[in-house]
Amino acid sequence: MFRSTSGTRRVLLVLCALLLSLVFVLPKQSHTLLQAIGKPLADLVALPLELLSSTDRRAGAIWNRYVALRTVQEENEQLRREIEFLRGQTADLREMAAANRRLTELLRFQAHTPSVTVGAQVIGRDATNWYRGVVLDKGEQDGVRTEMGVVTLAGAVGRVVKTRASSSVVLLITDPNNAVTSLIQRTRDEGIIEGTFEGQVRMKYIPLLSTVRVGDPVVTSGLTGGFPKGVPVGTITSIHKDESGLFQTADVRPEVDFTKVEEVLVVTAPRSTEEPPPAPPAEKSKP
Amino acid sequence: MKLLLYFGLALVLVPVQSTVLDHLNVAGVRPDLCLIAVSLIGFFGGAGDGLMMGVLLGIEQDLFSAGDAWVSIITKPAIGLSGGLVGRYVARATPATVAPMMLGFSVCSGMAFLLAGAGGPDAMTVVQSVLVPQALLDGVIGVAAYWLLAERFRKDDSLV
Repeated sequence: MFRSTSGTRRVLLVLCALLLSLVFVLPKQSHTLLQAIGKPLADLVALPLELLSSTDRRAGAIWNRYVALRTVQEENEQLRREIEFLRGQTADLREMAAANRRLTELLRFQAHTPSVTVGAQVIGRDATNWYRGVVLDKGEQDGVRTEMGVVTLAGAVGRVVKTRASSSVVLLITDPNNAVTSLIQRTRDEGIIEGTFEGQVRMKYIPLLSTVRVGDPVVTSGLTGGFPKGVPVGTITSIHKDESGLFQTADVRPEVDFTKVEEVLVVTAPRSTEEPPPAPPAEKSKP
Repeated sequence: MKLLLYFGLALVLVPVQSTVLDHLNVAGVRPDLCLIAVSLIGFFGGAGDGLMMGVLLGIEQDLFSAGDAWVSIITKPAIGLSGGLVGRYVARATPATVAPMMLGFSVCSGMAFLLAGAGGPDAMTVVQSVLVPQALLDGVIGVAAYWLLAERFRKDDSLV
């Protein structure tokens, strides 16, 4: 191999060997030398490097902006669909959580109330503008009958006026055609709660000598209307004398927001809160 | 085709009236879709069809209302029948002639409800807050529906 090399080549080989030896023997000092030698080389190499790098960047940019965008667009659409789906799911979950909260509260109320009740859902409003009513998803096959009281956690809602096998119609206490005997909780004065056309309720026939005042709570008396005694009806907001001058009449703000009633309890067997709950039927002794 | 349309209307109108329409009320008053439908069925399809659909939709409406179970059963067929008579004797019906018909039907129907005791003793308030707004709504929607249907059913004899 050495034989075939020319003089210049030999010199170069010797120089390379010397340089490598220098690098091994004197690494620090050789560093300066290597830099001095490498600089023009680096400058020379830098030109195509920059050119290639620039081309690569441009090609990359073109790829990313145009060619790869086709995939990005698909991905974007898929992500949008996923976002829509997740939004829908979030809304569903929120609705379910809200329904869960309401139903839990209703169940708690049902467990504590001494009356026998049936839970029902409001599925519609009165089919005409002339009555204030709601349609429930429970009917005769669930034990719902006419004249039964309907309550929520907040208070009295109305009474059942029509029943069918699997649905029923409730006349709200805010309807002028509804009347429920009630009493003022503080004074124990009785009166009759009637609806007004403005969607409020009015307590009529309060004795003239009653010491009723604004802010007094009104509850059901339990005498009529299928309600147990003591169900909240509303709070008195104003009092005025009856036209005949024999009684007082009070405007009552209902406890229930009738525009937002979704779940209710139908009182199938009313019992007042003062009565003890019925004892469970004794089990028959086995022979 | 006609039977299918009537069947669909009978199936859909009352549920829509008591659910979806509740969100689209104007000052708490909703248009009476059954009234509008029955009067237009009578107008385009004849008195017989109006009467029949009036009975059907009247029964349905009374079933899903807290009121007495006779007002809609009487008023709706009467409106269907009257719509049929108007359709027969009005030579050149236009939205301008249909509007008073709708208003009149709605007012008459409302009066029947008032006579049945709906709305309580304060009848004047009920007239102002329900009867008049509902008649106007029924009139507007009825005329719009007539305008949409007129072109189609006047040319197509299948309903006449």
